[in-house]
Amino acid sequence: MMNKTMWTRSVAISAVVMLTVPVALANGYRAKNIPVEVAKSAMKVTPVRDWNSLSIRPGKKAETWTLDGERLNDVTFYGGIAPGEPLIRESSKKHKPLPKFTSETLLIEIPELLEGTYRTDKGIGAFSVTGSNPDHFLGQDGIRFTYTYVDADNLPRKGEARAAVIKGQLYMATFDAPRLHYFDATLDDFHILTDSATL
Amino acid sequence: MRKGVAALMATAVAVLSSATYGASSIAPLPPPYAGAYQPVGVDEIGAWREADEDEQMLANSPIVIRDEALNAYVRQVLCDTVGNDRCKAARIYIMRVPVFNASMSPNGTMRVNSGLLLRMRNEAELATILGHEFGHFEQRHTLNRWKATRSATDLLSWAQVFASLGSSYQSYANFNDLELSVYGRIYRFGRDQEREADALGLGYLNSSTLRPQAASAVWQNLMNEQEASALAKGVKKPNFNKIAFFASHPPEGERAAAMTMLADPAGDNREDGGARYAAALAPLLPSFLDDQIKLNDFGASDYILSALAIRGWTAPLLLARGDLYRARGNPRDLVQAAEFYGKAVEMDATLPEAQRGLGLSLIKTGRRTEGQAALRRYLELKPNAADAAMIKMLAPVAGGQ
Repeated sequence: MMNKTMWTRSVAISAVVMLTVPVALANGYRAKNIPVEVAKSAMKVTPVRDWNSLSIRPGKKAETWTLDGERLNDVTFYGGIAPGEPLIRESSKKHKPLPKFTSETLLIEIPELLEGTYRTDKGIGAFSVTGSNPDHFLGQDGIRFTYTYVDADNLPRKGEARAAVIKGQLYMATFDAPRLHYFDATLDDFHILTDSATL
Repeated sequence: MRKGVAALMATAVAVLSSATYGASSIAPLPPPYAGAYQPVGVDEIGAWREADEDEQMLANSPIVIRDEALNAYVRQVLCDTVGNDRCKAARIYIMRVPVFNASMSPNGTMRVNSGLLLRMRNEAELATILGHEFGHFEQRHTLNRWKATRSATDLLSWAQVFASLGSSYQSYANFNDLELSVYGRIYRFGRDQEREADALGLGYLNSSTLRPQAASAVWQNLMNEQEASALAKGVKKPNFNKIAFFASHPPEGERAAAMTMLADPAGDNREDGGARYAAALAPLLPSFLDDQIKLNDFGASDYILSALAIRGWTAPLLLARGDLYRARGNPRDLVQAAEFYGKAVEMDATLPEAQRGLGLSLIKTGRRTEGQAALRRYLELKPNAADAAMIKMLAPVAGGQ
């Protein structure tokens, strides 16, 4: 009787371990002071502190890093989005298409592109661009903009993004974090990380 | 020919619905109101407690629209529909969610999405939905449904244990998906309960001062919108008479036909409150439109805009249409967007966003000088705009580039 209970317990524990381990192994680690290519593009950043990189990519040409955990402070790099492509993977090309970057898209319209992508993908109603200013990104004239939104989990978030269009392709880095604590606590890390970006 | 087929289909639907909505043709007046109700038995007391907790979260939710005038108006429509004694049982929360939906919890929490308000054409249509949801509440449908599917929550409890052990966003997301689908089924009412609520809703409407024939238009418009959306996406037209296995509601085709049947013909010459509805919604309409347009559903958004413009195009509607076409961004769309913005500017020269849209779409179609002039007007109207510095780069004030 005792043995049977032990056996059941060990099966249950190993089932739990099997469920949890692959997730832990899958995410990557970006050590400080080592230049690394991001978003499967020629864009390179040199972090000054250690970052985690998530194995789940939001899109073919996108990659997400975080300090404290997914959705707590996410830096997402978009590398070389070509005209006709969406920023992130479309859950259904036919039934829920995402807005596309086009060759006519102006720099000032990049915030609208990100806004449309977030709204469509998350099905949310509350999103507003709170500011956009000229900026240098990857050594080029670009745009830096800020936004706020209430995510699908009902948590108000803030974001900042830097983007530039180089040789007709869009390069961008976004920072998304809950308005409470995380955004202000790690915004500087985003600035330092994106200042190090080169192409 | 098409008309003939449509008539035939309508007849077929009418035959089908006469079987499912019961024999009586006109919805009977609602029974006298039983008065304030308190939950009975552990199940119902528990359900109310959960609903109370949800409502407490709702009270602090960042997506609840707290505009006093709009809230008062929606409440007034509910009271006019179900009567003053009944409507005291409901607390209404207008949610900023750009989706056609409304719901009512057993404790009297009514949620109305902004996407629903955007799609209603008049007071009678809104009254149809509010009456329907109130019908669920009065019949205590949630409780019966909940009892029947209680076992499903056992599954969720175990899933939650595993999800917390997994402790990654992915496992939480998986759990949330599971939770959504399980709760989705628990809280969705059976199709027959929906039919009962439809009949009760029409009962309220028949006894109100509003035109009950408007009820059928709600479903007719929704079908038209879904067709327009499918057409623009290039996907198959939805079948409105097919009952999907997991469908929570009767198909729209059936409902549209049944509503016509349930409506009291004597009420046909009553007013539907179209002007009152438009006036009440006007202050928030631009933001509701914006939420819809940015969902990247061109067909549905254009249909909604055209439907709203039935009383004539206004500057905010033209601005929204310009935004819609500019976002799709084909060369022909940009030309049309410039035209819509241009008309909006003609109607209201003080609308800064229309000047901005006009400027951007003119620049994108090669009319740079005109575009820059419009952008300068935008900055004059809104000197502290969030994107002022970017606009100044596109349209230098010194005149010329």
